[in-house]
Amino acid sequence: MDVDTAVFAVSCTGTPRTGTRALHKEQQLNRFLAEVERRALRIAEIAVRDRDEALDIVQDSMIKLVRKYSERDEEEWTPLFYRILQNAVRDWHRRQSVRNRVMVWFRKKPDEDHDYDPVAAAPDPIGRTPDEELTNSEAMLSLEAAVRRLPARQREAFMLRTFEGLDVAGTAIAMGCSQGSVKTHYSRAVHTLREQLEEYRPGSSGLVEGQS
Amino acid sequence: MKRSDEEFGRQAKEAFDASVEKLDAATLSKLNRGRHAALAELKSPTRSFSRWMPAAGVAAAVLVAVVVIQTPGGVDEMPTAVTDMEILLGEDSIEMLEDLEFYSWIDTVDLEGDVG
Repeated sequence: MDVDTAVFAVSCTGTPRTGTRALHKEQQLNRFLAEVERRALRIAEIAVRDRDEALDIVQDSMIKLVRKYSERDEEEWTPLFYRILQNAVRDWHRRQSVRNRVMVWFRKKPDEDHDYDPVAAAPDPIGRTPDEELTNSEAMLSLEAAVRRLPARQREAFMLRTFEGLDVAGTAIAMGCSQGSVKTHYSRAVHTLREQLEEYRPGSSGLVEGQS
Repeated sequence: MKRSDEEFGRQAKEAFDASVEKLDAATLSKLNRGRHAALAELKSPTRSFSRWMPAAGVAAAVLVAVVVIQTPGGVDEMPTAVTDMEILLGEDSIEMLEDLEFYSWIDTVDLEGDVG
């Protein structure tokens, strides 16, 4: 083999370039997103109480991950993805609070309808009918309700640690805070949830006890 | 962490996983579409454009700076141009235009005087 042939051979047998590498990256991302998307949707849905909004948030988060972090190592994707998702949820809540402040001006005055309760009158955000509600898991419904009542940071820590299964370090990256803060938020969340759920279901020592 | 907390976490995870498994087909389809829309970003031409946009912006700014500095008298001529504009747009110029006939007469008189 002459020198030119040898150089050509080396250049062809190195790291896979462009086409193959891009295809491999796409497959990796597809696998990762397919694995994470359903849990991410439920986590977002619990946080914003609306499935369509949650779908938008998850899709936007997937797009941002692909745009910004596709070149990062695969191990980094989970905490990065959830960081994007949590930021999107926080933005959604900020927009909602601004929208609510603006909408106050267009609502009926309280003395026009004493019995009107906007929370009670609002349709079920997930679109469940009363019959469906009855057949759904009571345990998850009560857990969701309790998780929604948690302060935002405790809710994030609990959902990322428990539902997504991130470790303390991964949760800290996703939440953008220290590992110590994660431990504090998580511990408080579990304490509050246990109190509320045991109070909600007297005589039960666990969340799903008695569930078939 | 207390054992009871761990047990609580395990039960909560089970309930959550069960709710994930119950997601309906329409929702799963929307997730699938969302994922493919995200993956399409890998092939999007705007992606490569946006990646190089900051560098292109800096390059353009440097090019403009070089052209301005290298052009002979490019920077020096600017005050002149500004002065011209000031004269053209100044109140005095407008007054001069209004009295154009008067200044024209003065020129004529001066010329006649020079001759005389």
